[in-house]
Amino acid sequence: MVNTDQVTFLKIVLRFPWHMLILAGVLVTVGALALYSASEGSWTPWAGRHAVRGGVGAGIMLALAFIDFRILRLWAYPLFIASVGVLVALLFVGSGNGVARWISVGGFTFQPSEPAKIALILALAKYFNDLQPERVRNILTYLPPLVMIAIPFVLVIEQPDLGTALALALGGLTILFVAGMPWRYIGLAFIGVASAVPVLWSQLRAYQKERVMTFLNPDTDALGAGYQIIQSKIALGSGGIFGKGFLMGSQSQLNYLPEKQTDFVFTMIGEEFGLVGNLFILVIYLLMIGAIITASFRVGSRFAQLTLVGIATMLFLYVFVNVAMVTGLLPVVGAPLPLISYGGTAMLTVFVGLGVVTSACIHDRPAPE
Amino acid sequence: MVLGTGMLVVTSFLAGRLYQLQVAQNNRYKRLSDRNQFDKRVVAPKRGRLVDRASRLLAGNAESYRLQITPLYAGDLKAALAQLGTIVELNDDVIAEVLQKSAEQPSFRPILIRESLTQRELARLAVRSAYLPGVGFEKSLRRIYPQGALTAHVTGYVSPVTESEIEDNRALADLPDLATGKIGIEYAREATLRGQPGNERVEVNARGRPIRVFRDFEPSAGKDVRLALDIGVQQFVTEILRMGNSEPVDMASAEVQRAIANDRDLKLHLASGENMLLRDSLGRITPPESGAVVVMDVRTGEVISMVSSPTYDPNIFTERLLTRDWRRLQEHPRNPLLNRVTAGAYAPGSTFKMVVALAALEAGIISEKTRHFCNGSMDLGNRTFHCWFEDGHGSMNVIKALERSCDVFFYEVALKTGIQRIKNMALRLGLGFPTGIDIPGEKPGIIPSHDWKLATHGVVWTPGETVNAGIGQGYVLTTPLQLAVMIARLANAELAVTPSLQVLDSPPAFEPLDISPAALRTIRKGMFQVTHGGLGTARAHNLSSSLGGMAGKTGTVQVKRITKEQREDGITKNIERPWKERDHALFVGYAPVKNPRYAVSVVVEHGGSGSSMAAPIARATLQRVLQTRDMA
Repeated sequence: MVNTDQVTFLKIVLRFPWHMLILAGVLVTVGALALYSASEGSWTPWAGRHAVRGGVGAGIMLALAFIDFRILRLWAYPLFIASVGVLVALLFVGSGNGVARWISVGGFTFQPSEPAKIALILALAKYFNDLQPERVRNILTYLPPLVMIAIPFVLVIEQPDLGTALALALGGLTILFVAGMPWRYIGLAFIGVASAVPVLWSQLRAYQKERVMTFLNPDTDALGAGYQIIQSKIALGSGGIFGKGFLMGSQSQLNYLPEKQTDFVFTMIGEEFGLVGNLFILVIYLLMIGAIITASFRVGSRFAQLTLVGIATMLFLYVFVNVAMVTGLLPVVGAPLPLISYGGTAMLTVFVGLGVVTSACIHDRPAPE
Repeated sequence: MVLGTGMLVVTSFLAGRLYQLQVAQNNRYKRLSDRNQFDKRVVAPKRGRLVDRASRLLAGNAESYRLQITPLYAGDLKAALAQLGTIVELNDDVIAEVLQKSAEQPSFRPILIRESLTQRELARLAVRSAYLPGVGFEKSLRRIYPQGALTAHVTGYVSPVTESEIEDNRALADLPDLATGKIGIEYAREATLRGQPGNERVEVNARGRPIRVFRDFEPSAGKDVRLALDIGVQQFVTEILRMGNSEPVDMASAEVQRAIANDRDLKLHLASGENMLLRDSLGRITPPESGAVVVMDVRTGEVISMVSSPTYDPNIFTERLLTRDWRRLQEHPRNPLLNRVTAGAYAPGSTFKMVVALAALEAGIISEKTRHFCNGSMDLGNRTFHCWFEDGHGSMNVIKALERSCDVFFYEVALKTGIQRIKNMALRLGLGFPTGIDIPGEKPGIIPSHDWKLATHGVVWTPGETVNAGIGQGYVLTTPLQLAVMIARLANAELAVTPSLQVLDSPPAFEPLDISPAALRTIRKGMFQVTHGGLGTARAHNLSSSLGGMAGKTGTVQVKRITKEQREDGITKNIERPWKERDHALFVGYAPVKNPRYAVSVVVEHGGSGSSMAAPIARATLQRVLQTRDMA
């Protein structure tokens, strides 16, 4: 099944998905420029570090090209168990604004929920890769993967980080769907999720409930929780087709716009570069996601295929949730824009994801006919 | 396939939403963006005031209006500035600066045009404001020092936050109005004085004018600091120090104007705000004396007066420092920015003899009765050390040697005592390290020793250097403040007093001084004789006995060795030498003699002699302090 040809250095160079690296580079550059503007035309505190992290990320992607993809299949479950372990540990030792999202290791802080996404994708891909084809239609087949999704989902909700939890769940469910889950089960799952909403609601913290309520009617509290959404819409809307120009966004520069370096960076770009700037970014993301999906048709193993689809979906969900949020279509749940928002863990996770894709493209080729 | 299509559909949906916001509803949001807005601002706290011991203001805050323009609403910026120029005074530099700034930053951000508008300008602007779109004024608080130069070396000054301060504390970047202490009490007590900033949201209209202000978080003002200083004494001491033994001249007279025209030095003094000139005993026009005077309470350590001359006006620093003002301070021949009280390091000269005598007495090397014969000089190896009195003082004990300031006696005693014992005593009296007063940049001075010489010069200490140290010359350096601390400790006799610029509610818990009372009594007898003895070096300047009299010690410090040729030419009188080569004049003392209350230390740079120049200043200072001692 799987090709076992000798992968030489030349082959790595030839098979490397350079177009993905270039697209990632474009996004990081856009991010650095936006962050430069967010700090009123300064490389500190964000833009400079963002660029450096982008470089490190690209290095990780290049390094992963030398890792044999099949090793990941052996490590899929251990990695998943380890990431769940870290999430559990986080409930006890985490730090950050009263919510336990970050963990500190040797002076670095990172968000374990980010790498958990990749671990979940790998574990689910392995599960369906090892499945006998005739069991695809059996409903019991889908019970273990649902549990695998539910565990990190619940742990991340507990942190509490609604945005990441939903991205985890939706990303995982997409793999089930791609793996061949029959439509009637999908319908069943949908009903299940819908009925879980009241339960979920009772689990939310007060500030999360407030955010959702505000989303439903932002103008009730123009200076409070609705402030972010209103200001974001004003900033985007006033940008027009071509924007107000680099460093000229009054909403962002005068600090009306909150969190402009993380969750609302898309808004800032919209204010300064207009519809054109925003569409440009969306096109870049589509090209990147399209490239990964296209690659998923060309890899050898089912494991690789499912992994790639999972990573593409995760990337898409990031973008969708963030853009929907800042345009006022979804509540403010806290979701970064991949490779553009300031934040080390999220960016490195995306690069690790791209590195996994790279590894699959190079080492997991279909057997010659 | 289904997945990819789904993603495309969802993305087009998002693109549609963006189109709706950015194109279809663009006008609406543009309006909202121009109007309605809440500009979040950090509000600078009101800085605490500095007052003297009788609550007279030394540093306060005055309301000040600044003029600014927002290019976005001003239309043609050049035309707007030209129009403004007809209402308030604007020079071309300012206009160029505003135009340059407008090119560098977003047009919605206001640009500062002028600070400190006068009431008149404010009224004229207010009347015309309807025709001046984009022009606004903003009220702010400006630091003022009503006593100006008189207290500059104590208060120090505040100035706008610097880049390096922002690097240390990024929160300062949000406080463009904040001025922080850079030196003096303003710097040392920054934490107390500054207060906590607040937050406000300002609703502005389409023309950038504030409509409403919401205070989210009130700033809390800094705390006032009450200083021990007595501004009346400060004023008096400043005057007598500056005048020295000379008379002020009529600045308007033709003779004085001619002298100024011919003397670059005088011109530089006048350029930085000097308004007094003197005529010396040779009839020459000279600038005021420079030096330092400190008065300290010997029980509490409170500093009643601290004068350093020349000085400067701290008000020039509070807003934007003009390069012209800065250049003048730099060009001033006598460095007015130097606080001579805490950072002027001078050889203590004969005022150091108390240290040597105490070290010897305490170690039992001499007693009150021990005598040495002074024949005018002492030979050591192949060197000869002269006494200032060439004919010799004859047979001297320690009390007589202090009274007449005999050098030879102290040469001998220093040699017998050794530099290490002298150093130990100096340290116990507060010399050789910073006193810890609330003024940054204090100098430690130097009290040398074997180890110090080896560490700094890499060679061993020689006996000749001990001889020099015995009369407070050579390597020994002290600040006027350290000398005041030394006198306060000698006068207090029990506690190791340290200086405090702040009024103290109760006397602080000083360490015990722990020096033999008998030895201290002997030293104080000697200091008494300086002003009371028939041959005392300051017998002409004793304090009236109705105020309890004064005890002290003169010091005359050679700055430049007199050459043989000069001696032969007859130029041995100080006044005939160039100013820079004249001796420093010192006097340290306390009063009253019984139950001492105040210690004083006087240094007049190149003032001639301790007895004729410094002693009268010390006497007048103590007299003034004692006469007003019922002050708060």
